[in-house]
Amino acid sequence: MNNLDSLPKKKILSLFMTCGFPTLNQSKKVFNEMLSHQPNIIEFGLPFSDPMADGPIIQEANKLALRSKLSTQQSLNLIKELSKSKNNTSFVIMCYLNTVRKFGLNKFIKNIKSIVDGIIIVDLPFEEEDAIKKSLSKNNIHLIKLISPMTDKKRSKKLLKNSKGFIYYISATGITGSNKLDYKEINKNVKSIKKMSSVPVLVGFGIKSKKDVIDISKKTNADGVVIGSALIQKYFDIKMDFNKYLKSLKKFIQEVKI
Amino acid sequence: MRKYKQPSTVGRFGEFGGMYVSETLMPLLLNLDKSYKKIQKDKKFKKELNDLFKNYVGRPSSLHFAKNLSKYINGPKIYFKRDELNHTGAHKINNCLGQILLAKKMGKTRIIAETGAGQHGVATATVCALFGLPCYIYMGAKDIERQKPNVFRMKLLGATIIPVESGSKSLKDAMNEALRDWIKNVRDTFYIIGSTAGPHPYPKMVRDFQSVIGQEAREQILKVEKKLPDYLIACVGGGSNAMGLFYPFLNDKKVKIIGVEAAGRGAKTEETAATMTSGTPGILHGSYSYVLQDNDGQIKEAHSISAGLDYPGVGPEHSYLKDIKRVKYFGITDKEALEAFQTCSKLEGIIPALEPSHALAYLIKAFKNKHKNKVVILNLCGRGDKDLFTAAKAIGFDADE
Repeated sequence: MNNLDSLPKKKILSLFMTCGFPTLNQSKKVFNEMLSHQPNIIEFGLPFSDPMADGPIIQEANKLALRSKLSTQQSLNLIKELSKSKNNTSFVIMCYLNTVRKFGLNKFIKNIKSIVDGIIIVDLPFEEEDAIKKSLSKNNIHLIKLISPMTDKKRSKKLLKNSKGFIYYISATGITGSNKLDYKEINKNVKSIKKMSSVPVLVGFGIKSKKDVIDISKKTNADGVVIGSALIQKYFDIKMDFNKYLKSLKKFIQEVKI
Repeated sequence: MRKYKQPSTVGRFGEFGGMYVSETLMPLLLNLDKSYKKIQKDKKFKKELNDLFKNYVGRPSSLHFAKNLSKYINGPKIYFKRDELNHTGAHKINNCLGQILLAKKMGKTRIIAETGAGQHGVATATVCALFGLPCYIYMGAKDIERQKPNVFRMKLLGATIIPVESGSKSLKDAMNEALRDWIKNVRDTFYIIGSTAGPHPYPKMVRDFQSVIGQEAREQILKVEKKLPDYLIACVGGGSNAMGLFYPFLNDKKVKIIGVEAAGRGAKTEETAATMTSGTPGILHGSYSYVLQDNDGQIKEAHSISAGLDYPGVGPEHSYLKDIKRVKYFGITDKEALEAFQTCSKLEGIIPALEPSHALAYLIKAFKNKHKNKVVILNLCGRGDKDLFTAAKAIGFDADE
């Protein structure tokens, strides 16, 4: 069974968090807090030294997690341990290809089989995915696709063929010096994606507040949102006081669950 | 040996290279690749570039017979390919001119670049001034500190310097930040990458623009020596000056080719930048190539006295040339490079940059009293002005900053 196959039709909430942030032990508490709210999806970021597709906040989280030489195996063990209280929440790993390559694809899959429902390999383009996708699908793990505002129709069609799980639409791109969400553009692109694929479309990057979540739901055709940086930012906002962080995390997740 | 024909249409040099970037960048790279292919057939583009090479850069750069150094080594005849005489003081300008012409043709209005030693930053700022485009240079905070003269140069040329405080605060991190900028500003921005690293088509494109070095050297040596050289030697960080010299000779089986990496405090220590001597294949900055990494694939920080070689990766074509054994790669320590830096200055009246000082050090070490009657071309890819403070400090000379 793959939890991603029974996602609801609307208002899907996916929460991203870096494994091992701020420390491995504290990370368990963070994920347990997240799990207690039963979001539809939790995305586990595997820390990488050079996360070039992530913004400065997630980069900082990666750095903190790697301070204590957190290994890939430790991250995977953490995910396994958390999966005991997984229930209906889908588990998705988000990582860079070098992490999987160095760990060994088969060993990686062996570690996450029946635990993880999907994987996003940020820097694995469609052109290079064949072998990995095959191995993953044999083990009932979906390879989640990213679509950006730069992806044109012709390319989207190729990318979205046989897509499984959900589509991750990267919203905040191409807007010079601004992080404002352009709902008109998002709606236009999400609509076009939905014509080509039947799996849910989630909007990510730049979603920071309850208002953003509601606006996405009201002003666009998207089926849900991914929130990442905003969850991590809270830790720096309260000057890295961990107990306060857990409380503010709780409050924030309650808010964005609409 | 079959005729050398790399990379493949998808940017593979054997198994190395490729395009490992997020979907935010993929469409851009494909578009860049298409535009580059088109421009390669454009005669007007070629003419424009050649005019700039001749009248703005001062090409062809001379091929100087280093008589005194040859005598000192008591080995082969040594020729310097003097790309340090180029406008802006290094080979970097060759590539920047090619890329900015391409950017213009693609209708881009904003230029970004990363820089380590500052040579590529200066070259980019220079072509931006020439073509009237706004220029943003990402530079590691550590490099800003050790390359002050170049920082000032870039500012004079009108560029905005963006200090990078993340990671090791050097070239690798500057490249991460530049890629992030590009993801954010994809529509109007052209990213001028300075080395043969990064995702396809950059390694190919940069090599092609730099191969003017090897083409000229080939003609020049045939004229004076009436034969091809026996050896080529160049330093390798990301590898652009080396690819520029090597590429036009790759089919000449008899020409032995040597790439010299920066071994920092020693290739076996943790403080090294000798990627191919100490690294393993992995993915960094969108390309599969040798990288310095730990068992979990986390990229290590590189170390070299030379900011231009201080990079934990290397261009994918070098990885390929290493694996097919067409090019041999060796490491030279900070200390050895500093000695060669002084030797060359005293003997030839040429103060080399710390980058080619690594190639010089290898030449002095490995060719001393050997290979007589042979001919060597060494790529003197940059001049030492930018390194005066660093070198003075390392040598123990009290230079008042």
